[in-house]
Amino acid sequence: MDIPSSLAIVTLAALIHASFQLSVSVLTLLSGHAIGAKHSQAKVLRLTFGFVSGVGVMTLLALSFISLVVLHLFGHETPQLIWAITCGLLVGVGLAVWFFYYRKDRGTTLWIPRSMARHLSERSKATKHSAEAFSLGLTSVLSEFLFIAAPMIITALVLVQLPGMWQLIGIAIYSVISLLTLFSVWVLIGSGHKLSEIQKWREANKHFLQFAAGGALIILGFFVYVCKILTDVTGAL
Amino acid sequence: MDQGGSIDIVKRNGRRETESFDRKKLHDSILAACLSAQTAQGHAESIARKVTEEVIDWLKTRPEVTSHDLRRVAVRHLKNHHPDAAYLYEQHRITL
Repeated sequence: MDIPSSLAIVTLAALIHASFQLSVSVLTLLSGHAIGAKHSQAKVLRLTFGFVSGVGVMTLLALSFISLVVLHLFGHETPQLIWAITCGLLVGVGLAVWFFYYRKDRGTTLWIPRSMARHLSERSKATKHSAEAFSLGLTSVLSEFLFIAAPMIITALVLVQLPGMWQLIGIAIYSVISLLTLFSVWVLIGSGHKLSEIQKWREANKHFLQFAAGGALIILGFFVYVCKILTDVTGAL
Repeated sequence: MDQGGSIDIVKRNGRRETESFDRKKLHDSILAACLSAQTAQGHAESIARKVTEEVIDWLKTRPEVTSHDLRRVAVRHLKNHHPDAAYLYEQHRITL
């Protein structure tokens, strides 16, 4: 696969990651509690920035770790079977997102274990320092791993076949793009937008976001299947 | 001032231990919702006080209520004073 196609896959996978909402929900809760606890705007910004940094660092570490595992297991040439399984995983997770991502309640309740949701909710209330907010960011990435694993795995498969410098660029592109939504919400909160407006927008558009994320995962699965498996098979004939 | 102290609050349909109604806890949660909706401190405190009184009036005829009912009634009264704060108060449990 050439470098532009590889980077296009990395970019689409990162956009899908960015459309997942768990970290945005935690950020909304965290800032709501911080403002409600009468913290200064500077402190609210420090806490929320700590959280966004935590999410960024864990995304970077998780992607690097998965890439390392893939590299150790398969080297620079991943077997076609693994590509096919990952394409299937992308389509499967895409369908799961369409049907299960949000619970049927009001609000933006996600299909994650309730004990995990309660833990994140309680921690967002108890968080008083930037370091705690940072660790909450790390935890929130792990909590949505069920959904982000598929785009991360396909990114890792694509990255390990690239030259070293492009691997680093790919990881940086993925990390930055996957943080775009969170960063936008952070800027909105920092510039004094009402949390109720942000949450109302998220609630009103949740089905669109769900459809877009699920659809994009399925499209990515087919794109990689055509780009990597069909091209290689027809090229070999 | 009525503290509503003798009323039992059933938490999560009995899945957690029942606790006595705590006026301060209700007041503080409404105050936090108002402040989250960027309301000035004095105005937020005044709304929280009024809503707490209204909820306590509702509680007077009930020896036991669920936390869900308490929240629902608080939201209904808060909506009259500050719809944005009521929205945040309501959403708090259904964001994640």
